[in-house]
Amino acid sequence: MFLRLLFESFRRQKRRKSVALLAIALGMSIATAMIAVGNDIGDKINQELRSLGANLVVTPIEDTLDVNIGGVNLKPASEGAFINEQDLIKIKGIFWGHNIKGYAPFLSDRQKIQTRNGSVDAEMIGTYFAQPLRYGNEQFTTGVRSVNPWWKVEGAWPQDYGDFPEQLPPDVLAGNKLAQQAGLNLGDQIEIGGRKLRISGILNSGGDEDQAIVAPLHIAQDILHQPNAVRRVTVSALTKPEDAFARKDPDKMSPAVRDRWYCSPYANSIAYQIHEVLPNARVEQIRPVEQNQGKVLSRVTGLMLLLSVAALLAAALAVSAAMAATILERRQEVGLMKSLGAGNSAVASLFLTEAAFLALAGGLIGFLAGAVLAHRIGQSIFGSAIVVHPVVLAVVLFAAVLVTFLGSAGAVRKAMQFDPAVVLRGDA
Amino acid sequence: MTRTQLLLRLLFKAAWVRKDRAFTALVSVAVVATIATAALTIYSNLEGNLSREFRGFGANVVVTKTSGALSPDELTNIHKIIGSAGEIVPVGYAIATETTSNAKIVVGGADIDTFRRLNSSWSFSNTGQGSALVGGRVDETIAHGADLHLSFGKTSAAVKPAGFFHSGSDDDSRIYLPLDDFQRLTGVHPNTALVRVEGKPQQIQNTIASLRAALPNAEVKPVRQITQAQTAVVGKTRSVVLASSAVVVILIMLCMVATFTGSVLERRKDFAVMKALGASNRTVNFLFASEAALLALAGSAAGYILGCGIAFWIGKANFDAAILPQPLLLFPVLLGSVALALIASTAPLRLLQQIQPAGILRGE
Repeated sequence: MFLRLLFESFRRQKRRKSVALLAIALGMSIATAMIAVGNDIGDKINQELRSLGANLVVTPIEDTLDVNIGGVNLKPASEGAFINEQDLIKIKGIFWGHNIKGYAPFLSDRQKIQTRNGSVDAEMIGTYFAQPLRYGNEQFTTGVRSVNPWWKVEGAWPQDYGDFPEQLPPDVLAGNKLAQQAGLNLGDQIEIGGRKLRISGILNSGGDEDQAIVAPLHIAQDILHQPNAVRRVTVSALTKPEDAFARKDPDKMSPAVRDRWYCSPYANSIAYQIHEVLPNARVEQIRPVEQNQGKVLSRVTGLMLLLSVAALLAAALAVSAAMAATILERRQEVGLMKSLGAGNSAVASLFLTEAAFLALAGGLIGFLAGAVLAHRIGQSIFGSAIVVHPVVLAVVLFAAVLVTFLGSAGAVRKAMQFDPAVVLRGDA
Repeated sequence: MTRTQLLLRLLFKAAWVRKDRAFTALVSVAVVATIATAALTIYSNLEGNLSREFRGFGANVVVTKTSGALSPDELTNIHKIIGSAGEIVPVGYAIATETTSNAKIVVGGADIDTFRRLNSSWSFSNTGQGSALVGGRVDETIAHGADLHLSFGKTSAAVKPAGFFHSGSDDDSRIYLPLDDFQRLTGVHPNTALVRVEGKPQQIQNTIASLRAALPNAEVKPVRQITQAQTAVVGKTRSVVLASSAVVVILIMLCMVATFTGSVLERRKDFAVMKALGASNRTVNFLFASEAALLALAGSAAGYILGCGIAFWIGKANFDAAILPQPLLLFPVLLGSVALALIASTAPLRLLQQIQPAGILRGE
């Protein structure tokens, strides 16, 4: 009997039910889309913030002070200490290795550069451009092209390694200011320390590199007679915004607390882990980048969270209002059922079961539609998909049932308070 | 009773007799208006609010004189262009020898307070008495907390640290002295100005262009990674907020339309009785439409106020800055809600008009 009532209610009131279903589905697609976007926005903006470049810098502990004014480095390459290039790959092997988006080693010195118009003194910087490397089974590419995304090159980026026969010297970049000053053009040959080099691109970095020659690291090491030497490494890592816990000294923590600190991707704990694999190196935050990106990130995620909460509340209210409206219109049915002898609980359970069916169906449709919307938003704004976690489905279904019940319950109770005779006469 | 009085009475009774129905309609309109107001208010303030968060990155423009020092006129010019919200720190550099260790150190001269304010993200530890800011690496390799004996060729001085700092840049190998002391010791005047330009990405670009035009003998360089990241983050966040608000507002509007349409369809009997008593289609349409319009007007006005409140609260909670109501939004929000309610309530009437009133009253 109950099932039959339920079935007939859906069969005979298709229009009324589809209005309620539509409202629930719309409300739940809002919930799905906002939860998905709000949940993923942190990662997406964190990726955008990587255009700030590296947030950690690694230098040898034993190194002497840098003597650098206006892009002119006055410290000879032979002075001070170095990091071994072969050891750098260990950075990928730390606990948070997957959060290391890339690193770029640097070795630089002032050199006499022979051009076809004479000779100039300028900085020569050796680095990785897009060096393919392998750590264990993982293949990755790293260098300034990913770590310093604001570097712009007119012409072609040099190869890090390649066959450089005598007639085809290795490619390098010339900083745009140096090129202007020394009359260097694309394709020109220059000579540094007796080694012939070809300018494949003109670099515009907006920084000191604009007055330098930027060469593949191993070529610079060769010219400077410093095999495997690296003076400085900048590391770009995805980090969690710093809080009071992040600033604590790990050596003064209890083992359990220290584990928690070690396993959080703070810049401090990543720096600590890099220092563990490179014990002769000092790892420092590039503070303007590291300190502020967290602030920006938390503002953006906070905003999306609050907007999502507002949207969820609105969706809940809208769905409740829609459910209440459909049930209030059915008070004559309630009157009829009650005059035929149905108890309050029987009437309520019929209405609530109907609501539950509607909620589950509407929740499912809304989840699918919301997932498509979130995917679209991700693709069009960030160029990468926003994936909706399956857990969201459970949350959305639960929310749908809860919200429709809340909307229905009040209305059902109201409808039951009327005297059946009055309702049936149409006076209520 | 005049026709107008009858109409008003019908409108009033329709809402009063079925208070709950009127209330659910009111809620659904108010929700749309609230969300639309809150989202649009936040969106229109977002660029400014988020751009402020990039203040902590320090200087975003560096002005360097190609030869000689920056003249007082040029500094006044920069001040004028960046306005009172920006920050400018003229800096001069020289190389000194630390006499006890014989190490070469780059020494900068700047107004220490503004310099610290500009680089607020650096970590500073204070020792108190002295006047110089000493880079972390200088302290580690040479000073170890003690005074530094600097020689600039003809002059020399013992420098007491006021504090040590870590920046993660070349500055960690430098010492910064108050500008007066620096000029007295070296005779060098600032040739570089570290500038923080405040504003939205486009405003910053415009300011850079004005600085370039006003300072032909100086190089004006944006610190590109900061300006670029600001443009990317602010732009993408705006797009996300806009896209998700649009999705929410459109869906919730549909939801409201469904609720409205549903409740009009449920009133078939009212419609049939009116027709049976001799009302024309126009009169019935007018009655239903004015009822919907009144509800929408009341609902959206309440929603506008609530939406402004939510935007204000989100601004306070998230950006520590109030997001003030936009009076310009009131009119579109009211108009949009009324238009939607009119469409939602009159569209189903067309359907009903095709049916004979007698049929509806018989329950067909």
